[in-house]
Amino acid sequence: MSQPPIATETLGSFSEDPAPGDAPTSKKKNGNVAKSPTQIALTRLRKDRVALVCGTIVLLLVVLGVFAPLITHLLDIHEKQEPGLPGLTELLEYDGFPAIGPPYYPFTWEHPLGIAPQTGYDNLARLLYGVRTSLLVSTLATVLSTLIGVTIGLMAGFARGWPDRILSFIIDLFLSFPFLLGALCLAPIITSRFSADVDKLGRAQLLALVGVLVVFGWMSLARLVRGQVLSLREREFIQSALVIGVPTRRILFKELLPNLVAPIVVAVSLMLPAYVAAEAGLSFLGIGLTGIPSLGQTINVAYGYFDAYSLYLWAPVIVVMVLVVALNLLGDSIRDAFDPKTRR
Amino acid sequence: MRLKTPFIALATAGVMTLAACGGSGGSGGDSGDSGVDRDKLGDTGDAQDAEREGPVEIEGAKKGGTVKVLSVNGLNTMDPAEAYYVNTASILTGLVTRSLTQYAYDEESGQMTLIPDLATGLGTPNEDFTEWKFTIRKGAKFENGKEITADDVKFGMLRAMDRKAFPDGPAFANDYFEGGADYKGPYSGKSTDFDAIEVDGDTLTIKMSTPFPDMPYWGTFPAMGPVPEGPASTPEKYRQHPLASGPYKFAQYNPEKNLTLVRNQAWDPKTDPGRTQYPEKYVFDVQVESAKIDQILLADQGEGQTTMTYDDVLGADFRKFSNDHKDRLVIGGQPCTYYWGLDYRKVTDKLVREAVAWAYPYKDAILAGGNIDGVTRLSDASALMPPGTPGRKEYTAVEGHEPGTTDPAKAKALLEEAGAMDYELKFLFANDDPNGVAQKDVIVAALEEAGFKATPIATTTAELSEKRSDPDSDLNVRSSGWCSDWPAGSSWFPPVMQSTNLDEEGLGANYSVFSEPEVDDRIKEILQMPLEEQPEAWGDLDETIAKEYLPAIVTSYTGTAQAHGSKVNGHNIDIGYGMPTWKGIWVS
Repeated sequence: MSQPPIATETLGSFSEDPAPGDAPTSKKKNGNVAKSPTQIALTRLRKDRVALVCGTIVLLLVVLGVFAPLITHLLDIHEKQEPGLPGLTELLEYDGFPAIGPPYYPFTWEHPLGIAPQTGYDNLARLLYGVRTSLLVSTLATVLSTLIGVTIGLMAGFARGWPDRILSFIIDLFLSFPFLLGALCLAPIITSRFSADVDKLGRAQLLALVGVLVVFGWMSLARLVRGQVLSLREREFIQSALVIGVPTRRILFKELLPNLVAPIVVAVSLMLPAYVAAEAGLSFLGIGLTGIPSLGQTINVAYGYFDAYSLYLWAPVIVVMVLVVALNLLGDSIRDAFDPKTRR
Repeated sequence: MRLKTPFIALATAGVMTLAACGGSGGSGGDSGDSGVDRDKLGDTGDAQDAEREGPVEIEGAKKGGTVKVLSVNGLNTMDPAEAYYVNTASILTGLVTRSLTQYAYDEESGQMTLIPDLATGLGTPNEDFTEWKFTIRKGAKFENGKEITADDVKFGMLRAMDRKAFPDGPAFANDYFEGGADYKGPYSGKSTDFDAIEVDGDTLTIKMSTPFPDMPYWGTFPAMGPVPEGPASTPEKYRQHPLASGPYKFAQYNPEKNLTLVRNQAWDPKTDPGRTQYPEKYVFDVQVESAKIDQILLADQGEGQTTMTYDDVLGADFRKFSNDHKDRLVIGGQPCTYYWGLDYRKVTDKLVREAVAWAYPYKDAILAGGNIDGVTRLSDASALMPPGTPGRKEYTAVEGHEPGTTDPAKAKALLEEAGAMDYELKFLFANDDPNGVAQKDVIVAALEEAGFKATPIATTTAELSEKRSDPDSDLNVRSSGWCSDWPAGSSWFPPVMQSTNLDEEGLGANYSVFSEPEVDDRIKEILQMPLEEQPEAWGDLDETIAKEYLPAIVTSYTGTAQAHGSKVNGHNIDIGYGMPTWKGIWVS
């Protein structure tokens, strides 16, 4: 759970583009002559087997997460203790181990992955909801930090002078603030603020977690964008736009931003798995989510059972691992596809 | 032994796991013989042996070796005046400091016997127990070789009465000694003038403000031991290094991290009727993760063979210990009761309180809290005094309600009768503790099924006890526990059921905020009664309070399941504390 590492080496730049000054938006009508960098990248991606496999896995997990309520409903499994369900005394034995399914009893379709010791939760239901939470948190955090990062990066890079220096200072300030410390401080504050309403607390925790990830995650993208803008700013097409009096907003969004699509896509695709891992990590430490099912939280309570009931621990660990690895490899492939320097 | 509030709070939340698990296969598993013996739970026994003399020798025991002790809970202050947690008090009295009296483990009955320590007997009371005489034995020395005198013992007592310097220590001396309530102590009051304790040669005479027949029990506390007067015993210094009078002395101590005890050469076994000095040293390593402790003990390799713990083994590992390493698993009782205190000012309808007794998910809450049903927690609990306390009666508080059973239909019927459907119950839970959250979930589910409206209030483990003991906090249920200081009703009802002055003292340990003049009077009356009539009177009072007022729903009793390496011998449970019998441990 460190900050999402967005390595600077991922910056595919278009400075070596054979046709300088040719903004991708000015697509020629004649499609077979020129393709936009995005189109080129997509073509490349389609040919990349790793990207295809990872993309499929990610898609599958996304589908599982999105449809978690439906799937659990169909299988009649529950992620929470609810009135009307069998009590713990029926599900568990005297020491908290399940009285149904693994590790001591045979497999049952009622609980395909068994039930959790001590709490009696259905493991599969917890897993599906955990994936859902992971993806929700990481997607929200990624979208928000991309928005903030790109905006601040564009402004800082284009503004010159004092505004740039102030914005750069703010970026450095946030970079220097210890991430874990911030997260640790925030957790008890949120708990005491929303103590009376448990549902609200759950939502507050989710938002706070997203907030923490965003507050400590947007800087690298901002720096990256700023650097790109600094070099693009001096290029002829921007200079000429300035000379003929194109409004700043138009320059930023129509001239600069399209040229930044590649580095942003790359950064985003690497940010996503980092956030998935960070969410699991924070929840493992008990400073992330508590009321909502989360993979990190399940791993935290399950690690004492690594020997006696390994399925309970390994299922969430493997899912987190597969999710992060798939997203990372997909991110790598996207980077390769967008990077004009890689020729394969 | 009374566990001070913070400890219980933490135990409830599952952080301090000393008192944390429980279960004897009530729920389908057969724990049968591996379960705790319910009848002996808190049975420290009323066995006394005023004549016992040292030295103690254990047959076949060998000298030497290092015992490593692991625990997840920190060792905070080690000042005898302040050691009121089960772990610190038990380690101090078992190994380091001596008091007027002490307990010795009785192999045959599994109980503790009250025997003399620094005093030559168990004290001589006057007729109505308002004056006690103790004679301090000769030949007992501090670790620096100085002879322990009656004056040292007096100073130790005076010191422990300094409530401002030691706010967390036990206050029995202030409550019972004549003038104790007004005495400020040697540090805060800068005075050692206290007439209730008189020294005449080697005889101590203590005058009481009210009859105090339990003085010999109070005499076992580390606070009732010798401390030399002088600059070495200022609170700041002494909590780092209390001067040893027992068989072991401090070699190195990092608060909340570790403690090394080595043999105290000045200790003379002939003067001590209870303690032994077999191992070369003890190394306490605390704040070690519970899962790690269990793995070290399960593996039983190398240093693990001479390692022991006073924490309960985790539910995840209990089965492995009891199946494969039964000889290294020690199960015993602890004189503690957990209960749901229903705020007597707010939940005024007795029918509603009875409905709670029917609705509470006794067994589910035990399991969800990570306890072992029947070993570390026992759900068939009814009386406030745990089994084994003299005078305790078995009774059912609510008519027809089998202790430990849940019946939502009955609860609903009672709520309807009271016209209080959807009655709101507000209680705290620690949001950062998975056990606390899981427990909250099952309680909420059970209450709502029974027609209550459950409003759990989230808090953190660190803040839980403070919020709970605030009489003005917006709660009407306080979950808490209490452990007796000594096996008598006098250690239960005055603190737990006597009304307190809420503005000045706060709740104290009266978490039900129970206040009935009749009960207050009865408690005072019983304290004045002849000693032999007291136990029965307490037992009757226990039943009367539950049947007539029901201010608290008793949810469980506790036991403990500890483990040790294969080379550690003599590890039994001191049921007074639920801690190991330090006095008999040796390494083979």
